[in-house]
Amino acid sequence: MKLQTLLNESILMFIDSILYSYAQIFFSNRRWLGAIILFVTLLFPTVGLMGLLGVIIANITAAILKFDQSKIKSGFYGFNGILFGVAAGYYYELSFFMLMLIPVFLIITFFISAVLEHYLAVAFNLPGLSLPFIFSLYIFIIFLTNYSNIQVHHLNFPYDNIFASLPIFIKNYFKSLALIVFQPSVFAGILLSIGILIFSRVLFVLSIVSYSLSAILLTLILPVQAEQLAILVGFNAILTAFALGGVLILPSPKSFLLVLISTLIVVIFAGFFHRLLNGTLLPLLVLPFNFIVLFTIYSLKFRKEQSELELLYFAPGSPEENLYYHQNRKNRFDRFKYFFPELPFFGEWFVSQGFDGSYTHKDAWKYAWDFVVVDEKNSQFSNEGNQLTDYYCYKLPVSSPLDGKVVKVASSIPNNEVGDVNLDKNWGNTVIIDHGEGLFSAASHLDSDTIKLKENDYVLKGDVIGLCGNSGRSPYPHIHFQFQLTDKIGDKTYRFPFAHFIEKREDKLIARSFDYPDENSIVQNIVIHKTIKKAFGLRLGDKITLQCSINEKTFTEEWEVKVDIYNMLYIENNNHETAFIYLTDKVFYFSHYLGGKSSALYHFFLLAYQVPLCYHANLEWKDQYSLSQLTGTSIRYLTEFFLSFKNFIKAEGSFKYLERDEKSDSFIIDNKIELKGTGVLKSFKKTMSGQIKINGDGEIESFHFINANNSKFNATLTSNNGD
Amino acid sequence: MDTKKRYERPVITKHYSGFMNKIGTSSFSKPKKDIDGVAVTDLVEKFGSPLFVISEKKIRQNQRNAVRIFKTRYPKVQFAWSYKTNYLNAVCSVFHQENSWAEVVSEFEYDKARKLGIKGENIIFNGPDKSRNALLKAIKEKAKIHIDHFDELYEIIELCDTEKLKAKVAIRINMDVGVYPKWDRFGFNYENGESWQAIKRIITNKDLELIGLHTHIGTYMMSTEAYRLAASKLAGLARSIKEQFDIVLEYIDLGGGFASHNTLLGQYLPAEEVIPSIEQFADAISSGLFELNFKNDELPLLILETGRALIDDAGFLISSVLANKRLSDGKKALIIDAGVNILFTGFWYKHKITPAQDCGLHTEESAIFGPLCMNIDVVRESITLPLLKKGDKLIIEYVGAYDMTQWMQFITLRPNVVMIMEDGSVELIRKSETLDYISEMELLPLKLSLK
Repeated sequence: MKLQTLLNESILMFIDSILYSYAQIFFSNRRWLGAIILFVTLLFPTVGLMGLLGVIIANITAAILKFDQSKIKSGFYGFNGILFGVAAGYYYELSFFMLMLIPVFLIITFFISAVLEHYLAVAFNLPGLSLPFIFSLYIFIIFLTNYSNIQVHHLNFPYDNIFASLPIFIKNYFKSLALIVFQPSVFAGILLSIGILIFSRVLFVLSIVSYSLSAILLTLILPVQAEQLAILVGFNAILTAFALGGVLILPSPKSFLLVLISTLIVVIFAGFFHRLLNGTLLPLLVLPFNFIVLFTIYSLKFRKEQSELELLYFAPGSPEENLYYHQNRKNRFDRFKYFFPELPFFGEWFVSQGFDGSYTHKDAWKYAWDFVVVDEKNSQFSNEGNQLTDYYCYKLPVSSPLDGKVVKVASSIPNNEVGDVNLDKNWGNTVIIDHGEGLFSAASHLDSDTIKLKENDYVLKGDVIGLCGNSGRSPYPHIHFQFQLTDKIGDKTYRFPFAHFIEKREDKLIARSFDYPDENSIVQNIVIHKTIKKAFGLRLGDKITLQCSINEKTFTEEWEVKVDIYNMLYIENNNHETAFIYLTDKVFYFSHYLGGKSSALYHFFLLAYQVPLCYHANLEWKDQYSLSQLTGTSIRYLTEFFLSFKNFIKAEGSFKYLERDEKSDSFIIDNKIELKGTGVLKSFKKTMSGQIKINGDGEIESFHFINANNSKFNATLTSNNGD
Repeated sequence: MDTKKRYERPVITKHYSGFMNKIGTSSFSKPKKDIDGVAVTDLVEKFGSPLFVISEKKIRQNQRNAVRIFKTRYPKVQFAWSYKTNYLNAVCSVFHQENSWAEVVSEFEYDKARKLGIKGENIIFNGPDKSRNALLKAIKEKAKIHIDHFDELYEIIELCDTEKLKAKVAIRINMDVGVYPKWDRFGFNYENGESWQAIKRIITNKDLELIGLHTHIGTYMMSTEAYRLAASKLAGLARSIKEQFDIVLEYIDLGGGFASHNTLLGQYLPAEEVIPSIEQFADAISSGLFELNFKNDELPLLILETGRALIDDAGFLISSVLANKRLSDGKKALIIDAGVNILFTGFWYKHKITPAQDCGLHTEESAIFGPLCMNIDVVRESITLPLLKKGDKLIIEYVGAYDMTQWMQFITLRPNVVMIMEDGSVELIRKSETLDYISEMELLPLKLSLK
């Protein structure tokens, strides 16, 4: 029985590795697209079979030599084998001799690709593309010139006659696409273009644009006209466009422009290689594509500013998915910093002066905050306000925003009377803390003679460093707080955010992350709530079993918390779907999800996308979703034809802690996800919503979700760590 | 615009030479003719006299102030409304709306809090008398039980065992904080090691989870240092528990006992001048707790059971003069319609008593007696008041705490209680008692019936 499942698994893995290898030719990770390409190559059976032989030999060689299993499965080693196989079948008549020789060369191809891929990756951080295939094919062709009896042949595609009435321009487009797998046939091209259209609208548009432009440029620039060259240039242009316009670089208007320019370069280099190889037996093949893509990508790495034409180092899927993924990541986490400072006080304080303030926060000192305490009527003091003790904030503790070492303490400057300022000792009593990595924080105008810290003391985040006072240039008690880059008292300020805090806006409480408290707002720290933290403080090895239902269908799902080689915590369910966790000291995040959209894990990922580990009734927060993570967005496929220029749909989640139910002791997080169109799609709107229920023991008791198509998902905890 | 001047009876005042300053003093406060903008005369006309008046605005203001004061000094703070101080439903509900939990000391108070919709886990169950039934209920409803003595601890252990329950508990600890007489009758003693015994006993029991420590060092405390000591001793215990058993406590409960602005009988200076502010109490407690040296997210929640200081000045008692009298020694006496039956705190405090209508400049030393036909009914031995006549109104201030719980039905019936809402409207929150209400519980054996 066990052997049987093991066998089944390896067969599955074998088939996967073949299909993914085919899909790789068009930079895809979809098995179905691999299957279409496999089918297309079989339109001319000997060519197709040689391709299949190629991928099988490459993958088996890799497996026997114990190369990385996941790389084999992804088609990393297989696709050069396919290209070599189909090329050999394309150029030469098959004979017994050839059948003996091709497998040997497939193994050579494998080695060349293993070496080149590795070398390019390590030395230049570049992909190998199809260079290995070109090298080994050239070796093969030159080697074969030792024999005089080898037949070179040309393929005919009789069924292409039905497309005879199509204009030559269109026919050549399809042939260009199909030539990528050495099937220069209109029919094959039509199948491939449909496959690409379904896989990615961005790539489809790029294929048409780059082909058309190359065809026009060819007639304008190159005097020699031959159908063969037109198709060759077309297919190099299409591949180049795929690589630079969506696969290796994020789609954007700039990348689109890059594609246009590159198409021109493709035409020029095609002309160059065409002449260079003229008189040799070597075909032009994908030489221009490889050359242009590699030097473009490589040269882009040396820019000072990488924010535009962003190179993709992690590509989870189609160009659309990659763009959504990266945009989403940027929206959510780009502003995150290496440090996670908290507000330097306890309780609610009022920002009496913010950045670019109206009193003293100007010029080099503009990135600072003044904090005071106010009562319900927004007054800073009780009684007349003419004594220091009338001020609510006077002598309140001031705390350290981060761990660090105290580097400077001024502590004996007397407090001013209300209304007076001490212009001699501008900053008054001040504590400066070195947080490492060049970041310092300074709290000023502290109370006199109550600072117990000495220089070189170590403090932890939240430790009391002094009391709020009225020393220095301070007419009434307040805390002046700033980040700076040196240990000097009164140094210029450095713009650095607070990691997580809560703002009170009218009657609402809003959680904000890596942001800057605004002038006249009331802010407080996130104070960890034990129950919420227990529910979301998932630890390695935690196991959870859930009873789930979608509409009427029920099933059981098991989760386990694991960690990957980059030390990222993730939850994996019994179907090997994964949701990655990013846990800061005060907020739980899901960073991304890989898998199907009907699992409990998927719905939990949406619902617990961001959770502050505190509890305030009606606390609200928002987060942005990546479109590819959501269902019910078929209209999105249409907008993706223009994705290089504009993203027409936005997905935002509005989260809220509900008031606690008097009868049960649970906490409920409510989430409403809205898909909203912009521009011409302004009227488009779809909503999905759900809730997570956390019980008093700090367990995720249940959650439910109603999708945009009204399907209802429910999950209830049945066991937690085997309990 | 008065057409007719108010009549004031003649008075003879003895002159003392040498003590006057050139400005002179006014020995009583200015008349207080309204409460939160509502005229006293209107209140009496509608709800009668005597009348308890509670200001919703003042309660909320007090609670919010206290929350602000503590939360800006310590990151995690929770208030629990001390039911025994004033458990009128309307009063408790205002506190609960301000996010206060409930602190109860009997099954009756526990049920009252539950009935008001407070969840078990938000009820702190204190006190030496918790019946088996009450304990069972509290365990099941996950209330925070503060164990007072070993017999209670044994009963909980036995209950959990027989009923297959798990209980979250805390213990009450008493200690020497330099305040005498020591309050050592509640909880386990710190100095003699009983509290540590109890802690170990709880931790080693599989059904019990120790989640907090509680102390309540006294009532009407006038020293902040006592609180700092108490907080620091509890913090020390919490640290020992962490070091020895690796248990991080959920909370530390410092109880209540902050003095209000009522002057005690026998206290010479007025309360305003000698009572520390809540800020000073909070400073003392937070500095004691910071001795914990816990990691920021392991800091225990600070629970406060402040009662008196949050409600005293939100309560007023309007009373009417019934008669003027002259005693045998020539001293004047005033009889009013509010006696110690409803003004229990008259036994403790020199209340601030203010006339509710305009009066002349002349004053007279007088005693104030209540309406009861009992010698103990003395509202005040001696107070300087302007000349009052029958029907005039007095406002007795700072009566929010304890009066509406310790009052008694004795000789006469208890009066209406109204609340002046934030918007200025007046709501009746407890109706005056009737004969039927009082007789309801009585049973008359048939043979004693006269009818």
